[in-house]
Amino acid sequence: MLSSVDRNRIYLLGAAGLGAVIVAVVLIIVGTGGGSSGTTTNSGALVLPTASLAGIPQHGDILGKPSAPVTVQVFEDPQCPYCREWNVDTLPSVLATYIKTGRIKLQYRGIEIISANSVDGLRAIYAGAQQNKLWQMVDALYARQGEENSGWITPDLIKTAATAAGADPAKIASAEKSAAVDTMLKNSSDAAKAAAVGGTPTFVVQRPPGLPTQLQLAGLDPTSFAAALDPILK
Amino acid sequence: MRLRASIAAAAVIGGAIAAYLTYVHYSHTVPICVNGGCETVQKSKYAELDGVPVALLGLIAYVALIATTFVRGIVPVFASVLLAFVGVAFSGYLLWAQLGPIGAICQWCIGNDVVITVVAILCVVRMLTEPTPAE
Repeated sequence: MLSSVDRNRIYLLGAAGLGAVIVAVVLIIVGTGGGSSGTTTNSGALVLPTASLAGIPQHGDILGKPSAPVTVQVFEDPQCPYCREWNVDTLPSVLATYIKTGRIKLQYRGIEIISANSVDGLRAIYAGAQQNKLWQMVDALYARQGEENSGWITPDLIKTAATAAGADPAKIASAEKSAAVDTMLKNSSDAAKAAAVGGTPTFVVQRPPGLPTQLQLAGLDPTSFAAALDPILK
Repeated sequence: MRLRASIAAAAVIGGAIAAYLTYVHYSHTVPICVNGGCETVQKSKYAELDGVPVALLGLIAYVALIATTFVRGIVPVFASVLLAFVGVAFSGYLLWAQLGPIGAICQWCIGNDVVITVVAILCVVRMLTEPTPAE
């Protein structure tokens, strides 16, 4: 026979269990913004730096003036949310401060970090390089980025992204499996191994004849990026 | 006394895991990982709640759990049970996310799941055995 004290404690346990479930559900709903589905992609209303790319020389995977003395390799995965964050928040200021002024040039290094679906996106991105639209393709995919491993990088999405990027979707589709794209993928993978890249985004700076150096960032915001890069450029 | 010390010890282990993952989050470094899935999980949208790293929320919860072990009475005991139950429920949600949408397992998260489950069991035992003020 339970005493009244024991019974009260069991009631309290039940109340704690119920309260915990309610708190956890509220946290999850608030934290996920109302519970979007696994295949929802970001809207195209995002302010991405595509417009800022106008007028900047672009050749293959290189963005910026060929004469720029410093090359910054940008290791990214199209499914990586932090890479998208950097492109949205920081790339526009990098373009204005370092690229347009000819201080550095960027080299896109796409690598698979999240899953095989990333490679589908990388093939489309590197196919864009053949039209000198690689960086626009990168942005167009980030504008439509979905949940990791949800299989959001589909042929239809690539076609839409290519159109938004100002590239020829038919040429993108035909170039995705080309030997040139295979080579660019392999070069990126080899560069990532050489630079001991363990995650994305990672930035590797090279000022010949110096050796490549991984940029140590305190954050992905423009101030942190400038704080890490400026001492190397001096 | 031994029960409260056990809860505190388990919470210290959980807090250490949460502190490490909080550091990884803010330093943008790669977590030490034996199975390769930690970074995928850490960089997924499930690693944050409204912009706050879940690891930081876990760290705060473990500190609060430790604090409850220094106070006697039914109120801190109830608070510890509530905190631990919320932790278990949220860990279950994150485990589902790893097995489902993310498709990768983080060993640190699994370690935390084990710790928070142990803490919850110990807190329930404490609730059922904590002497009332009159005893």
